Amino acid sequence: MADTVNALLLREVKTRFGSNRLGYFWALFDPIAQVAFMATIFTLIGRESITGVPISLFLIVAILPYKLFSKLLPQLSAAVSSNKALFGYRQVAPIDPVITRLLIELVAFVVVYLLVALILTWLGIDAVPDDFLKLLLATLLLVVMCLGLGLALCSATIYWEDTPKLLSIVLMPMFFISGIFFCATMIPAKYWFLFDWNPVFHVMELSRDAFFSSYQTPVGDWAYLSVVSLGCLALGLGSYQINRLKFVTQ
Amino acid sequence: MIKLENLSKYYKTKQGRHYILKDVSIELPTDRNVAILGPNGAGKSTLVRMLGGADLPNRGKISSDKRISWPLGLQGGLQGSMSGRENVRFVARIHGYKDTREIENKVRDFAEIGKFFDEPVKTYSSGMRSRVTFGLTMGFDFNFDVLLIDELSAVGDANFKKKSEALMKEKYAQTKLIMVNHSVAELKRFCDAGLVIYNQQLHYFDSLDDAIEEYETRYVSNR
Repeated sequence: MADTVNALLLREVKTRFGSNRLGYFWALFDPIAQVAFMATIFTLIGRESITGVPISLFLIVAILPYKLFSKLLPQLSAAVSSNKALFGYRQVAPIDPVITRLLIELVAFVVVYLLVALILTWLGIDAVPDDFLKLLLATLLLVVMCLGLGLALCSATIYWEDTPKLLSIVLMPMFFISGIFFCATMIPAKYWFLFDWNPVFHVMELSRDAFFSSYQTPVGDWAYLSVVSLGCLALGLGSYQINRLKFVTQ
Repeated sequence: MIKLENLSKYYKTKQGRHYILKDVSIELPTDRNVAILGPNGAGKSTLVRMLGGADLPNRGKISSDKRISWPLGLQGGLQGSMSGRENVRFVARIHGYKDTREIENKVRDFAEIGKFFDEPVKTYSSGMRSRVTFGLTMGFDFNFDVLLIDELSAVGDANFKKKSEALMKEKYAQTKLIMVNHSVAELKRFCDAGLVIYNQQLHYFDSLDDAIEEYETRYVSNR
């Protein structure tokens, strides 16, 4: 399996980032440019800071995990269907491309996160999380949720091949309801119910809570997020186990 | 010996399940070169793919203590969006090779398709495809006991045929074939035993001539 994932990794990296080195630059530059754009806009129109935190950093802490979510989920859910031809080799199991894509997105995420933190530090903003372990846990729960949903969607794609199209429609409004350019304390408490069903909103709230000791989330709930994430993972693994033969034969 | 136990394979169609094989239990020898005979759509390619692990039966299982190749043929094996070289590299890597350059060069020299080796496989002609597929197995030292061949040699030009036959005889003296081919002459040259597919069952014949005889009485009406 390690050999297979290695082979898939090298192949996928090449198709994703192109064959020249400029591809790697674009892969990193694209999310950084987006973050910089958003941060600049909101700094220009908004207040200087929120609960003593520079608004750019406040946004970045949510934008980066959101980018991970919005890239990882479609990538994972298409992992099996776009590598079908390779299952002809018995060494390649359907889970292998899923693991491969998970690794690629995670590495890209960590590198971008570090680069952005470096740039912010260079600009004179203190970009070190106050509670690193909690931040890590929130991110991990997000990744677990994506993995579970991705696997479940891989299975769903067998039965209904338009699943990815539906996914991209569902993901569109997620940007606006996941608490990226706002946080729970900006919303009147009686309207929290509009957002607090959304596990991604919890990820953002808890990430900010972990990153800034001055921000205390009134909504973010570790128990809820954990249950949803592990539930998704169970669903994903279960549907994979049930459909593992169909992935190869179809 | 390849053992098939209670093997069933069907495809789902709009009119229900279309069985290709139903409750097949048979032992195929691996010390003979076996030709698989049957008309179009009888399930020859599917059988070869199942033997090679590229497809799975709906019920039952296939087991063997021999090393069986993946199905070499026009259909599978190579991925269209990757170049010939990348395909070779990929196959080498999943078999655990770290340095793939030597194998790449071997396959390139064998295939003799020039600059197309670095073009996507989907731009290849069927002959070029089979050159790469064939080169792939020849470039490695897999020591397969059984090679699965699905209509592979049917497409090469005379020069390539000669070359691949010579190499196969030399390198794979110990290797046996399981082969699908619509040309009886081709089968007669390589194989000495036959397997006929009819009534969703497999019928093994120790002599190829008997198998061809059986195939013709079953399927060829105006003989």
